[in-house]
Amino acid sequence: MTESTLFTAAFALYVLSTFVYFAALFARRVKWAGKGLAVAGAGLVFHTAALVVRTVTSGHAPFTNMYESLSFFAWATVLAFAAIDRKFRLPKIGPYVMLIVVALVALASSPLMPKDVTPLVPALQSYWLWLHVSVTLVGEAFFAVAFVASILYLAADSEEKKEKYDSVSYRAVAVGFPLFTLGGLVFGMIWAFRAWGRYWSWDPKEVWSLITWFVFALYLHTRIVMGWKGKRSAVIAIIGFLAALFTYFGVNYLLSSLHSYR
Amino acid sequence: MRSLWKSFASVKLAIFLIILLVLASVLGTLIPQGRSAEEYAARYGDLAGLFVRLQLTNLYRSPWFLTLLFLFAVNLSVCTVTRLGPKLRRAFGPGTGTDAGSVAAMKVRGRLRMAGPTGAAAARVAQELGSRRYAVRAAGGDDGTVLLARKRRLGWLGSDAVHLGLLVILAGGIVSGLAGRRSHLALVEGQTADVPHAGFRVRLDRFETELYPQGGVKAWKSTVSVLEDGEPVRTEIVKVNRPLIHRGFHFYQSSYGWDWENPKLEIAVGTKGEPASARSVFLRTGERVPVDGPGITHLSALRFVPDFVLGEGNRVQSRSREPRNPAVLVEAWRGEERVYTGWVFAKFPDFGDGHGDGRAALSFVLKDLQAGQYSVLEAAKDPGAGLIWVGCLFVTAGVFLAFYWTPREIRAVLAPGAGGTEATLGGFAAKGRDAFRSEFEAVCESLRRAP
Repeated sequence: MTESTLFTAAFALYVLSTFVYFAALFARRVKWAGKGLAVAGAGLVFHTAALVVRTVTSGHAPFTNMYESLSFFAWATVLAFAAIDRKFRLPKIGPYVMLIVVALVALASSPLMPKDVTPLVPALQSYWLWLHVSVTLVGEAFFAVAFVASILYLAADSEEKKEKYDSVSYRAVAVGFPLFTLGGLVFGMIWAFRAWGRYWSWDPKEVWSLITWFVFALYLHTRIVMGWKGKRSAVIAIIGFLAALFTYFGVNYLLSSLHSYR
Repeated sequence: MRSLWKSFASVKLAIFLIILLVLASVLGTLIPQGRSAEEYAARYGDLAGLFVRLQLTNLYRSPWFLTLLFLFAVNLSVCTVTRLGPKLRRAFGPGTGTDAGSVAAMKVRGRLRMAGPTGAAAARVAQELGSRRYAVRAAGGDDGTVLLARKRRLGWLGSDAVHLGLLVILAGGIVSGLAGRRSHLALVEGQTADVPHAGFRVRLDRFETELYPQGGVKAWKSTVSVLEDGEPVRTEIVKVNRPLIHRGFHFYQSSYGWDWENPKLEIAVGTKGEPASARSVFLRTGERVPVDGPGITHLSALRFVPDFVLGEGNRVQSRSREPRNPAVLVEAWRGEERVYTGWVFAKFPDFGDGHGDGRAALSFVLKDLQAGQYSVLEAAKDPGAGLIWVGCLFVTAGVFLAFYWTPREIRAVLAPGAGGTEATLGGFAAKGRDAFRSEFEAVCESLRRAP
């Protein structure tokens, strides 16, 4: 099967999974949520195959333009969600995470994103491409899960649910933050030093990564040292994910940067 | 002094400073940095002057931003130092003061009855915890009936490692800023250049641009030799992502361009309306060559521009360094008499609006041009980089320690009880409490079942 067939199949399964999840939510059938996860898992299999085929045909890492990186980010988000879900079993997070995944995949499939395999420009020809982008996006995928949990926290009506969402949000940040630090900042600095000759040049992409890092550092310090929990923590986690999104999209399309690979 | 120290030890100050740093950083990405005064004037009008005065146009190097970073560094140091002592004691200290009361105050607790005297029971508890990779020591009572067991103790220091790493990175940034040396070397093939502050020279042996079959640049490759006392000591290919490193200097493939100062030109000279009469003349700018031509004896090329455009006052300029509209100013001579002067274009043959007697009769076309390419290498010595990598190592190790290696602690107080020993266990985990609770319960269970 070609990459686009596999990708479309994954897309369809993600949409189906979202429907199943929402059906479970509105019909109050907790068991259906398990089916939603299974369908998402099937989608993940096709999606993985699509990424592998893309890597083999292009001969480079599957995240060198917006189409590829969106697809990879969606993939990582499903993975991050599956990891968190295994631990917490919260049927309500599934539908909303899948909604984000479907939005990402839809954006990737939109005609706005050129899907041609293009050869790598010299700056991207490095194994650091693999390390820097994949670890960063997996870290940000956990931020996406924290984002969903935080929004659900704000919307939840019972104390018991709130406590669970708060804890899921924190756990997702706790996994994502080290990955983002390593992939986004440390690997980014090492690669910048090798490719551009300076580890830090205050390029907008770099600055926004630092801003994202600072926001999550605030999240952790207010929480661990000052004992903030709940509403204020949720708001910071939401801001943090939005900063990560801006680093990812906003800098490419709105600011002029040395680092805009569309 | 004391109150100053206290205020710098406050996490609230850290949070305040981080928020300020975030806001300033956002501002610095919204206002493009380091552009020309004209660009700011065009973009912001009357506000441009204010922005420049507030140093918002060179924000990240402005004294006020650096002051903010400095305060942040002081805050970070004081916070870390004040918290380090208690944490070190918690992780590695002897744990004196552990007693029944302190165990009773712990959130996770278990109480169980064990057979045998307290000494034997203590040994069993120590063995059980030791098999779960806890470091066990007798604490508190001299009789060894109070045990303190800890594991993943380095996790206590995760956040301190991050803070230390950040300070080292900031120090690295200062060293880079003060002692870093950078220069751009534009070299054509065969050219040698002094590397400023280096005490050695580099020579560009070869420069080539590799293209993909479907178009687009695959690689810029500069073959570079390092010359010490005039002798080549090493030769390497420098590409993007593959710098040459010699005695602390890194050489990066930074840019390239065409050497338009002295291109090789091919000009076809003929009689107007008779293409068959055209003959090719090869020359460089500044040269005057003999021509066996239609009514002329010599041709000279005075000036070349790669991208011809008429600027203010009809002055000829080059709009860019790309060969988009190459043109050459030629003079045709018949003996000592100049019969034609005019611009000759590659894209517009016979455009010639030159002047002279030959104007009506002569035709010129710029048929071909070949310019050498030059390669721009960035030579950089960055003595701060080493500190940056050390700092990064601390930061990375720290975040992973803090979140993936969370410390656990179990205390046990053993006292003689009915038919043996009464053991009270208390547990603590900084994070991951659910996983810890199940381990704690497994420990209690295993001790209960033990003979």
